[in-house]
This record gives sequence, structure tokens and C-alpha cells, in this order.
Amino acid sequence: MSETIATGKPELALREQFYTTEQQREATTLGMWVFLASEVMFFGGLFLAYTVYRSGHAIAFDQASRDMSVILGGMNTAVLITSSFTMALAVHAAQRGHTRALGWFLLATILIGLVFLGIKFTEYLQHYWEHKAPGLDFQTNLTDPGAVEMFFVFYFLMTMLHAVHMIIGIGLLTVLLLRTGLLTLGRDYHSPVVITGLYWHFVDIVWVFLFAIFYLPGLHLR
Amino acid sequence: MNEPIISVKTYAITYVSLLLLTLATTLLAYLDVGPLNTVLAIGIAVVKATLIAAVFMHVMREMMLVRLVIAGAIMWFVILISLTLSDYFTRAWFTT
Repeated sequence: MSETIATGKPELALREQFYTTEQQREATTLGMWVFLASEVMFFGGLFLAYTVYRSGHAIAFDQASRDMSVILGGMNTAVLITSSFTMALAVHAAQRGHTRALGWFLLATILIGLVFLGIKFTEYLQHYWEHKAPGLDFQTNLTDPGAVEMFFVFYFLMTMLHAVHMIIGIGLLTVLLLRTGLLTLGRDYHSPVVITGLYWHFVDIVWVFLFAIFYLPGLHLR
Repeated sequence: MNEPIISVKTYAITYVSLLLLTLATTLLAYLDVGPLNTVLAIGIAVVKATLIAAVFMHVMREMMLVRLVIAGAIMWFVILISLTLSDYFTRAWFTT
């Protein structure tokens, strides 16, 4: 197998509803970005709710944030950024028609994504043992227990919503990996790789903000 | 084809910058600079998000229409936050 190959089915490179590959690329890219804009609204409501509660209970939120593991959270941030990097390289390989490299980078992105979920699950378990899971025998000796519990409600809700996005992303990447193996993705047709990449990077951006609002606020109290 | 292609070198530089910014924002969070802590944390997060969007998501080479969609998304979010907070900050909702 040569390193640079066209897709196995070049007749699929331009789908019948489009006139030119350029139009096809613009339509798929724009469509994905409009979806991501709707995702901003989806997560936006939760960020707004967090901001309102934080502005009213700033001290309690900072104190609650001390129970977060900045080591695990920081590691996970690095892990997710790394997966974004391998995803960017996968898109690059697809654009060049380097099918084998595309497969390896997709596989790397999937595995690193799974590492992220593993670390996240470890954190959840840790919170549970420390009675920091709201509704499951939540305990705290801080002065504003209601607000502290609210911090963890936001934490679990937002990071779990993020984790669901990760799981969906890993599913999409797995399909891409299979299609790469079947040689239906490559230099001539790789829109699915590009737009899945956009989705993956967006999920990374969401995490960047989650890290900033949940893990960092308590550090100055240590 | 007008597809934006960005070099591996640019990706690598962006990747390292993102890791360094993560380290920087974590270390800076240990300082107690009052309300500036939040400003720093969100400010650096915005820089990181911009880097990811510009390079990894190709926005720096992308068509104007896509940038318009992004501007719309950001504008909507800013309206959501600013109008809501203008209410919470000017009426005593939290009196405890």
C-alpha cells in the first residue's frame, strides 16, 4: 500500500447534492459551525447559572473548590489538549491523503479520550467517597453548606454533560477509524474527519472553561 | 480547492503553548489577588480557546461566513450573561 492514496471510492468524493467539492466543503463546515453555535447556547445556560450562584456565594464556591483535585484536573486538561493535537494531525493526514497516518492518529485520539474519561471517573469516585456527591449523603463542615452543595451540583452536571459529549465524540471517531480501514476516507473525501475534528476541539474548549471555573478558584486558599 | 491546510509545525507550537498556558493559569491561581483571580482564570481560558479555534479549528484560514457564525454565538452568550448579571447586581437578590 502506498503512503498517499486516493479514496477507494472516488465516485463518492463529491456527493450528488453538491455541484463542486468547494461547495461541499463550505456547506459541511458551515453546518458544523452552526451546530457548535447551538452547543454554545446549550452549555451557555449552565455557565450563566454557575455565574449567578458564584456571584452570590463567592466565598463558599472558592472554599468548595478546595475539595477538587487540581492534580487530576490539570492532568486531564493536558490529556485533552493532547487529544486535540492528535485530532488536528489526523485532519492534516486526511487532507494529505496519508491514510495510514490518519488511522493511527484517529486511534491515538480515541485512546487518549478514553484516558480522560478514566481519570474523570476516578475523580467522581473520589468525590463520592468524600461525601461530595449531592444527594448521596452529601456532607460539608463549611459555613454555607447549601452553596457548597450547589457548587458540586454544577460540577457534576456540567462535567457529566461534557463527558457525554466525549463519549459521543469517541463513538464518531470509532466510525471514522472503521471507514478509514475500509478506505472510504482519504484525500478526495474527508469532510467527516474535518467536521468530527471541529466537534472534538469544541469539546476541548468547553473543558478549558470547566477547568477554570471548578478547579482554579480554590487554589489561592491553600 | 480552498480547504485551509495548516502546517504540522504550527499545530505543534500551538500544542506546546496550550500546555504552557495551562501550567501558567494553574500556578497563577495560587496567588491571592482578590477578584483578579477570576479575571486571570477566565482571561487565560479565553486565550486558550482562541488558540484552539484559530489553529486547530482552522478559523484563521476559514471563510468569513464561519467567522460570522462564531461572532453570533459569542455575542449571544455575552448578552445572556451581561443582561442577567445587570439584574442580579442592581437588585439585592442575595441578601444573606
